[in-house]
Amino acid sequence: METTKNIVELENISVSFDGEKILDALNLEIKDKEFITLLGPSGCGKTTTLRIIAGFLEQDEGDILFEGEKINGVPAYKRQVNTIFQRYALFPHLNVYENVAFGLRVKKLPEKEVRAKVEEMLALVNLTGFEKRKIDTLSGGQQQRVAIARAIANHPKVLLLDEPLAALDLKLRKDMQKELKRIQTQLGITFIFVTHDQEEALTMSDRVVVMDSGKIQQIGTPQDIYNEPKNAFVADFIGESNIVDGIMKKDFLVEFSGQSFQCLDKGFNQNEAVDVVVRPEDVDIVPFDKGMLTGVVTSVSFLGVHYEIIVDIGGFKWMIQTTDENFVGDKVGLYIEPDAIHIMKKSEYSGLYGDYSSYSEEMDHLSDIVEEE
Amino acid sequence: MKALQRLYVALILIFLYAPVAVMVMFSFNSAESVWIFEGFSLDWYKSLIFDEAMLTALEHTLIIAVLSALISTVLGTAAAVGINALQNKLAKKAIMTVTNIPMMNADIVTGISLMLLFVFIGKFLGLNESLGFITVLIAHITFNLPYVILSVLPKLKQTDSHLPEAALDLGCTPFKAFFKVVLPSISTGIATGMIMAFTLSLDDFVISYFTCGHYQTLPIVIYNMTKKTVTPDTYALSTIIFVSVFVLLVLYNALQSKTDKRRA
Repeated sequence: METTKNIVELENISVSFDGEKILDALNLEIKDKEFITLLGPSGCGKTTTLRIIAGFLEQDEGDILFEGEKINGVPAYKRQVNTIFQRYALFPHLNVYENVAFGLRVKKLPEKEVRAKVEEMLALVNLTGFEKRKIDTLSGGQQQRVAIARAIANHPKVLLLDEPLAALDLKLRKDMQKELKRIQTQLGITFIFVTHDQEEALTMSDRVVVMDSGKIQQIGTPQDIYNEPKNAFVADFIGESNIVDGIMKKDFLVEFSGQSFQCLDKGFNQNEAVDVVVRPEDVDIVPFDKGMLTGVVTSVSFLGVHYEIIVDIGGFKWMIQTTDENFVGDKVGLYIEPDAIHIMKKSEYSGLYGDYSSYSEEMDHLSDIVEEE
Repeated sequence: MKALQRLYVALILIFLYAPVAVMVMFSFNSAESVWIFEGFSLDWYKSLIFDEAMLTALEHTLIIAVLSALISTVLGTAAAVGINALQNKLAKKAIMTVTNIPMMNADIVTGISLMLLFVFIGKFLGLNESLGFITVLIAHITFNLPYVILSVLPKLKQTDSHLPEAALDLGCTPFKAFFKVVLPSISTGIATGMIMAFTLSLDDFVISYFTCGHYQTLPIVIYNMTKKTVTPDTYALSTIIFVSVFVLLVLYNALQSKTDKRRA
C-alpha cells in the first residue's frame, strides 16, 4: 500500500441482539483504496460489521470514524458509502437504466449527466445495450453487474460488498472475482468485502480480517494469514491444516507426536505447550523406515492435481496431499522440513480443530453452503 | 365419472346463479308479474332513473363507498407497514388478532355497538341527531380496515427487506425510500384492498342500517321499498348492483393473478 491514510476506523465496537453479543469490542482500521475482506463462518459478525459501516445498524458501544471524523448516528443516506447486497436488492419495478440512475436522480443531477454516467457505468460492467431490460429477465450474473453499476454510479469512497458472489455458480464466481478486482483498481475505491469463502478472500484481497464469535482473530495479507496463522481457528478456517499439540523445547526445536523437530520459530518459553500446524501439502511421504513419523494410510481420495490421503499416526489422523499413489493399509513414513512447521500459542481454540478423524469430502462441502445471517 | 363431475358442477352453478338469473330476467319484464314473462322492456330501469329517492340513495352509497375505500386504504396501508415492521412476534400476533375480530364479528353486533357508541357521543356533545353521514362513513371505514390490512400485509412480506435499505444506501430519506421503492412493490396489494373495501361498502346493509340515520344508502332504501310491495324496479336496481360488484370482483381477481404471474 502506497498510502497509509485510514478511511474507516472502528473503535471498540460492540453490538448485542437479544442479549447475545454479536460484536465484542471490535477494533479495525481500513486504509484508503485497499481491498479488505472480512472472512469468517456465518454468525461471526462480519455482516453486522458491514451494516454498521453502512449505517443500517447502530452500535451499542464504540465509535466509527470516516476520514478521521466521528459518524456515530449519521443515517445511511448521508454516508459516503454504497453497498452491494447479497441478493442484489435491485428495484424490480425499474429497468436496468433506472436502477443504475436511481442514486443520481436522488441527487437531482441534470438528465444529461445522468445519461452519461449510466452509460459509463454500464460500459464498465459490460452491460451496454441492456438499458431497457427488466430486472427479472436478467441472469444472476447480469443482475450482479447491475448491482455493481448502481452502487458505484454514486462514486462512493467506500464500497461495501455483502457476499456478492454467493449466489453465482463456481465459474461465474471466478470471472466476477477478477472483474471486481479490475473495477476496484480502475476506480481506486476502497472495497470492504464480506465472505465465508476463504479461497475468494485469499485471491482478491490486499488484507484479510479473519473473524469468529464477534472478534477479530487475525488481520494480515493473504500470505500472512495462510503461512503464519495466529491460532487454531485461523489455521483451520484458511485451507487445510494438521494441528497437533506440541512442546517448545527451546528456540528452533519443537516436540510433537513423540519426536523432536527442527523449526524456524523462537521466542517461546522453555517447555511451553503450543499448537503445531503442518499444512497437508508440506508433508513428504517417504519409505516407512526413513520417516520422521510413521503411520498407516486409512483413506485415499483422488482430486486430480493430487491425492488426499489420511494417515493415522498414533491415533491422530493427518491429512497429506501427495502426487504419489498410496493405498489404504500402506505403512508410510512422513518427512517434514523445518520451514513446513508453524508454531502457535495455545488459545481458546486449541484442541478443537486440525484432526481429520471425522473428515469426509461431503462434510467439507456442506460447510460451504451459505447460511442466512 | 367425468359426466357425474360435470353434472355436479352444473348443479352447483345453477343453485348459485338461478336466483340471480331469474331476478335479472324479470327486471326486463314488461309486466309487473313475477311468474309470466310478457315481453322485453327497459321500463323498470327508466322508472329508476326518475325515482328521486332512489337516485339520492345511490349518490349516498357511492359517496360513502368511495370515501370509505380511500380512507381505509390509506389507514390500512399505514397500519400494515407498521405491523410488518414490528420485531416482537407476540405483539404482532396480538395486533393481528385485534385487527381480525371486526371481520369475524357478526355484522349486527358491530352495527349495534357502533350505533350505541355514536349515540352516546352525540348525546355527550349535545347533538339533536347523532347519526348521519359522518357516522356511517366511520362505520364503513371500521369494517373495511382489516380487509385492506390483510391484502397489503402479504405483499409487504414478499418484498425483499433489503429494497428499502438499498434506497437509503443510494441517498433516499426513509420517507422517500418508502414512496420510491416499497410503495411500487405493494401497489397491487393496495389496489386489491381498495376494490375489496369499495365492494364491501357498496353492498353493506346491516351495519349501515344501524348507523346511517337519515343518510340512507341504497341497500336500505331497497329494504324499505320491499316492506310495502316488491316491484320490478327493485329487480332492476339489484341487477345493477350485482353487475357492478361482479365487475369489481373480476377486476380484483385479475389484479391478483397478475401479481402471481409476476412472482412465478
